[in-house]
Amino acid sequence: MWEDLKKQFILNFIKDGRWHYLTGGLKVTLIITFFAVIIGLLLGASSAMIRSKYEHTKKLRLLNAICNIYIAVIRGTPVTIQLLIIYFIVFGSMKVDKTLVAVIAFGINSGAYQSEIFRAGIQSISKGQFEAGRSLGFNYNQTMRYIIMPQAIKNIIPTLANEFIVLLKETSVAGYIALIDLTKAADIIRSKTYSAFMPLIAVALIYLILVLGLSYVVNIIERGLSHAGR
Amino acid sequence: MQEDKINTDIKTKAFAENDRNVLLHVEKLTKQFGRTEVLKGITLDIYKGDVVCIIGPSGSGKSTFLRCLNRIEEPSSGSIIFDGEDICQKNVDIDKHRQRMGMVFQQFNLFPHMNVIKNLTLAPVKLQGKSEEEAHEYAEQLLKRVGLADRAEFYPSQLSGGQQQRIAIVRALCMKPDVMLFDEPTSALDPEMVGEVLSVMSDLAKTDMSMVVVTHEMGFAKEVANRVVFLDRGEFIEENRPDEFFSNPVSPRLKSFLGKVLK
Repeated sequence: MWEDLKKQFILNFIKDGRWHYLTGGLKVTLIITFFAVIIGLLLGASSAMIRSKYEHTKKLRLLNAICNIYIAVIRGTPVTIQLLIIYFIVFGSMKVDKTLVAVIAFGINSGAYQSEIFRAGIQSISKGQFEAGRSLGFNYNQTMRYIIMPQAIKNIIPTLANEFIVLLKETSVAGYIALIDLTKAADIIRSKTYSAFMPLIAVALIYLILVLGLSYVVNIIERGLSHAGR
Repeated sequence: MQEDKINTDIKTKAFAENDRNVLLHVEKLTKQFGRTEVLKGITLDIYKGDVVCIIGPSGSGKSTFLRCLNRIEEPSSGSIIFDGEDICQKNVDIDKHRQRMGMVFQQFNLFPHMNVIKNLTLAPVKLQGKSEEEAHEYAEQLLKRVGLADRAEFYPSQLSGGQQQRIAIVRALCMKPDVMLFDEPTSALDPEMVGEVLSVMSDLAKTDMSMVVVTHEMGFAKEVANRVVFLDRGEFIEENRPDEFFSNPVSPRLKSFLGKVLK
């Protein structure tokens, strides 16, 4: 039994340096996730601000409409299809780096979900906070910046972290555009060694460790924030 | 009709007594929420140094009226002249005017993510261009006045309701406003904390601060106010000096209201 596992391990990871597939794939997965999170944060936060501003002041009507369409379309279609459309149609005639395509696709996708999270966070702050800010003479933007957003962001950190974790796992469909991410790497090893157990379990473990690590970091941040006030 | 006639007489009398500078001139202020008319054209002058208590049954529109004064609630029509300008006009820089009208809320509304001193200095530093030290110094001076000098580094959640409300009053005062608007400042407090907030408010009244106070505290109205105004169903019914107001109410509506609250 042990002998067998050892043999399998050597076959799948050591022979011909196959572990390079895994490290390479991990790197790609992390790069996609990291930059997609940043794009998602920018898109999510700004579209949530636009929508909140419209709700409160009836300004930015056009931008608000664009944001609503963006969110409806992205949340209403599978991420795999979005990835394929961006790769084959939007960048179809161009030669672009596949990783960049994936970053853009997953970033746009995540932005729509993060927008809803940010908006829920803004709405979770009581109307009284808003009125207190305005009554002191802060304008809408200043009230958002100094009073509403700091509280809203603190409230949404757990939900936001969950979204990052979902995003990390969702990048596993990047193989659809022949990008060698972690999942695709396992698949390549499997196709070379004709054994599924080792590469798939290994990749599952790597995802699990990443997710647990991320949760741990978020926990620390949350605890740090809860010391500051409330 | 008879009632209206009496009202006019009382109004004239009160105005004649107050031959001072008008701070806020409110004219025919109305407010509708959808189809419900909450304020049906209220006209009222507030003079420098006035302490005006607004009382009335719940749902009479007194809070709405107060909140319209700095346009936290947008009036439907009418005008409010403050500092020679009609602040109900759309092109008015309302934020500038609000800096000079302090407001205290029923629910305190301190900023929970900032400690007390930050709550107090945020607006003076960001809006009036004061230095941190200058704002700190003034805030600490005021904190001392309300007996909370030792709470500067606390967060709102670590304070009692009465302490939070006193901080909220100080927060508004830190902007050195010309008038203070109080929206039922003691209604959300436990009974044993009402006194400490009211005493801060009467101290404030003694400094000649102009105050408009929506309240259910008849004792406060009697002792601290120089004018008491009665609103009912969105209408201005009667106003008088506190002694006259409580001992010789004129309109039947006020009589019946006082009969209910002064047992």
